[in-house]
Amino acid sequence: MAEPAKQDNTGAVTPKTEDGAAAGPKIGVFICHCGSNIAGVVDCGKVRQAAEKLPGVTVAKENKYTCSDLGQEEIIKAIRENGIERVVVASCSPRLHEPTFRKCIERAGLNAYLLHMVNIREQCSWVHSQEKEKATDKATDLVKMGVSKASMLQPLAAREVPVEPVSLVIGAGVAGIQAALDLANMGFKVNVVETQPSIGGKMAQLDKTFPTGDCAICILAPKMVELARHPNITLLSYSDVEEVKGHIGSYEVKVRRKSRFVHEDKCVGCGLCAEACPVKVDNEFDLGFGQRKAIYVPFPQAVPLKYTIDKENCLHFKSGKCLLCAKACSNQAIDHKMQDEVITLKVGTIIVATGYETYVPMRKGVYKYWEFDNVITGLELERLLNASGPTGGHLVRPSDGQVPKRIAFIQCVGSRNKKINKNYCSRVCCMYAIKDSQIINEHEPKTEVAVYYNDIRAFGKGFEELYHRVREEYGVEFIRGRPAKLTEDPNTKAITIRAEETLLNKITEREFDLVVLSTGLIPSPGSEKIGKVLNLAVSPDGFFSEAHPKLRPVDTAIDGIFLAGCCQGPKDIPDSVAQAKAAASSAAAPMYAKKVWIEPLTAVVDQELCVGCGLCVELCPYGSPELVPGEKGGMKARAIEALCHGCGTCAASCPQKAISPMQFTDTQIFSEIEAALHEPTKKQNGKKKAEAEVS
Amino acid sequence: MKEVEKVFIGGLKEELMEDKVIDESQLAPGFAEEIKKYGGKDVMTCLQCGNCTGVCPISLKIDYKTRNIIKCCQFGLKKYILSTRWVCATCYRCYEHCPADLNPAEIMIALRHIAVREGIIPPFVKTAATNLVKYGQSVRPDEEIDKIRRELGLKPVHTHDPSFKSVIREIQVLVHASKYDKLIGIQEEVKV
Amino acid sequence: MINPSNSYLYFFGCVIPNRYPGIEYAVRWVTGKDGFNLDVKDSQEFSCCPVPGIFYSTDKDTWLLLASRNLVLAQDERRQILTVCNGCLASLLKATEYLQEPKSMGKVNRVLAQIGKKYTGVPVRTEGKRRVFEPVKVRHYVELMVKDFGLDAIKEKTMHPLKNIRVAVHYGCHYLRPTEHATFEDPNDPVMIDNIVKACGATSVDYEDRLDCCGAGGGVRSHVVDLANALTLDKCAKISTAGADCIVTGCPFCLLQFDNAQKSLSKDGIPVMHVAQLQALAMGIDPISLGFDTHHVSAHSFLRKLKGY
Repeated sequence: MAEPAKQDNTGAVTPKTEDGAAAGPKIGVFICHCGSNIAGVVDCGKVRQAAEKLPGVTVAKENKYTCSDLGQEEIIKAIRENGIERVVVASCSPRLHEPTFRKCIERAGLNAYLLHMVNIREQCSWVHSQEKEKATDKATDLVKMGVSKASMLQPLAAREVPVEPVSLVIGAGVAGIQAALDLANMGFKVNVVETQPSIGGKMAQLDKTFPTGDCAICILAPKMVELARHPNITLLSYSDVEEVKGHIGSYEVKVRRKSRFVHEDKCVGCGLCAEACPVKVDNEFDLGFGQRKAIYVPFPQAVPLKYTIDKENCLHFKSGKCLLCAKACSNQAIDHKMQDEVITLKVGTIIVATGYETYVPMRKGVYKYWEFDNVITGLELERLLNASGPTGGHLVRPSDGQVPKRIAFIQCVGSRNKKINKNYCSRVCCMYAIKDSQIINEHEPKTEVAVYYNDIRAFGKGFEELYHRVREEYGVEFIRGRPAKLTEDPNTKAITIRAEETLLNKITEREFDLVVLSTGLIPSPGSEKIGKVLNLAVSPDGFFSEAHPKLRPVDTAIDGIFLAGCCQGPKDIPDSVAQAKAAASSAAAPMYAKKVWIEPLTAVVDQELCVGCGLCVELCPYGSPELVPGEKGGMKARAIEALCHGCGTCAASCPQKAISPMQFTDTQIFSEIEAALHEPTKKQNGKKKAEAEVS
Repeated sequence: MKEVEKVFIGGLKEELMEDKVIDESQLAPGFAEEIKKYGGKDVMTCLQCGNCTGVCPISLKIDYKTRNIIKCCQFGLKKYILSTRWVCATCYRCYEHCPADLNPAEIMIALRHIAVREGIIPPFVKTAATNLVKYGQSVRPDEEIDKIRRELGLKPVHTHDPSFKSVIREIQVLVHASKYDKLIGIQEEVKV
Repeated sequence: MINPSNSYLYFFGCVIPNRYPGIEYAVRWVTGKDGFNLDVKDSQEFSCCPVPGIFYSTDKDTWLLLASRNLVLAQDERRQILTVCNGCLASLLKATEYLQEPKSMGKVNRVLAQIGKKYTGVPVRTEGKRRVFEPVKVRHYVELMVKDFGLDAIKEKTMHPLKNIRVAVHYGCHYLRPTEHATFEDPNDPVMIDNIVKACGATSVDYEDRLDCCGAGGGVRSHVVDLANALTLDKCAKISTAGADCIVTGCPFCLLQFDNAQKSLSKDGIPVMHVAQLQALAMGIDPISLGFDTHHVSAHSFLRKLKGY
């Protein structure tokens, strides 16, 4: 068998001399039982015995919980008393406790990066619980690899970068508004970018909120106004984020301020222009039920109360004539030649609050949304119930304007359906249907309401009570079954629903005047673009992924970017607000400290080897490497440390092998591989041994 | 039971004979796995929403509820399911609508596989299988039709051709090789 | 227009030759030299597809063996299979899908070896030394007509447009579902048969629940005929409300079901015919050749209306 020292072409220092005594740094190995999580499967004693024999290992210990104070003390003691220079902890995933142990060895005076964690829990005992012996062998091998790598570790220093105390909030629905207000009230400057002409988002469209029945716009409007007037907030409405560069502390953001064709500083929101405008089109805000002019504000409480010309429908842009609005405006605010403007912001942190869209029922689908007039969606119902909506709050059927006396809700439309790739629960539909059934009965007492449901999820505070109340007070009927077929009476336009009442085990057919589809929540179309601009990870359902589902619910994988509201997943208003407040406080932390420490586990480019081909620049998912003129001429790649995540994509693809990610250098990885292949823990495979002898 | 007697005790006696409580002894453990073995998807993922029942043409006509059968599969009520009639028309409507992306029609087919292996073989299966190994077709040839074929100027059905004997033999070899003859109980028809 | 290298084998199945020879005549005539002149011939060795309601339902292994045997015949002739029946289409198409799985192909071939046959698929080209195979193509008559010949050609060949004729189209389940198989149509909004009907000069009438099952499939007809008939008669009532003169379908088994179920009616039923028969009429064939004598529901009223213009 060849000596590793002989075949070592990686430039590694082999810590083993001929007699097996340690020549490299002194290594301490600490094997954790994790209660019975590891020790219940892996024979930790055996692993320790094997570790003791490894080259360089001076101390090998077992602990019931290495992360406990007792366990950490033992590491510190070993460093101080035995002069340990490298520490290997064989326990859980580094994601969980690497920071703990780094701090621990730092306390003992060792550089924090001279630690290596070997994962023998998630990657060994938990997955091999049925094969205890093999698991022990694997743990031994993993420890051996870890020790080999540990001997190669070099001390590294974390770097400090300054943080601009300015934040950017993308999206100004209730989550974005709340996050911006919180940060502004803490004293930070906040830029709020909203793509629509007015802030307010979806909540502004809703009638009342569950479970308390508060009027949505009544509680939202004061916040909208506060945001617009706040001295620390710059509101950029009718604007889009186009490009984001940089890293935590100093992001450079390009924002396109779309032209309203109305000067915001001159417009006083008097509405004379809209009165003069001859063009009428469907108002998106009312989902096509109401109308607006080609120069408009989407709703009376809009913030900012500035008019916007809809270029698609404006006569002037179609025919070059008209200009009635400009004539009507006494402030000369209207300018049909106005151009988009691109501005650049410098911010330290970003909060993404791009919200959601509601699911649009399929064409030719079972629920006949596109075919039957009296089949509407939940959001459309909100507009029909809303006092400032197109009907002034009178609930009428779209087909004939009559008051419906029998109303059905169909739940889980666009949710919990694998056929359309919407596997998730939208979390709000049960409650809004229940809430609406209450409002309907308040508007029109004795309206017969039936809810076709699969499961009722009334999980929040006060939800179950509301669910109880609508049954008790209004006799709302809950039918457990997913409707199979809707038919329309051609004369009365009433809808007959066929469904199995699964609790009765009978197929039922019942007629209703109005059918409301409780459509689910889907990622907003703008989210996809923002996700690409910011390089955000997306979960399979299309919503943005948080960094950790339990412990980092508002962080993203990118430092300095946080999530708030429904862009991260469907949620109701209280949850959106809570998350917005969490995101604001998370964003405030680095801005308050004015600096952040950046992990030194980044890629380093060898300027000698780099030929400036730019492949790394193209491949990097975080936009880290850039090409800069080299000292000796030519272009050379350079990693921007604050952006680099140390993922290794550049190093793996570099044709010149000029890039190495710190702590994962070729030398270190080869030494791990070597340790793994060198001497299998289990009895030597006969054939391999024979081969080795021959060579 | 005499009609008079039935009225007298309110028809209760018959009902009392039946066991109204399902205990574990009536459940077949691992039934969901058995269904998977014969090509059904995992019945445990069914949400019991009842959409399949609503779209099933058979469920509209008789006391047969697709969802209910899937529930019984989840539960392991094998005895009950195997005694239900074979009425699924395999129209696959349930599959088109299933939000859990199950395929109830294929589950019914898996159930038929299991039933046949438990010796529950409806006569029409035997008839069709016999026709196949005898004539190479599942429909029996008809002399009247042969006459009309001649009148139309069509050749006799190719299965009448003496050379078709070799095809029949091939079919019998295949049916025998897969032990289908034994499964359905048509061994005496297959001469390999 | 049709690719001239495409050649076919007729696959009439069981019901057509033994119950409705008129359909066979119509198909041969429409695809023959008086019609579309398709390169198509008979195979003397085809057996039952085998019928999915029996064999696929009770033993998939046996079903796949018997279907593979039929596929091998087409593969060895280097021809596509032209089915005229939804059941044959579903059974054979599903079999080609199963055979895409190398494991099941191996299993099938081990048994097929006993009768000296082997399924490989049709060799289409070679890549280096490796031959590349494609599954045997299984086509439905309707799909072939619309996709390969096109509606214009059908219109062109319509010598006697069937004016005043109101047709209720019945697609049948295995033509539409499961969706993975019937990729040539939108299962919620199929149009091909309607378009053929229109190209023949007739009117296709809409009726309630037109995509519903005839009631016969899956062994229901053979097993509980009353139930099957109840479903069929429901559908016939809806067709009758829409005022149709005849029912046109692409499936002989649906046809058989409609034809037989209406026997129990006291009044005259609605005549049922295969889309090929309707096409042949429009192309000017003498109705006597279409074997309407073998249909239980008399076609007289329909034929009288046809002559009436």
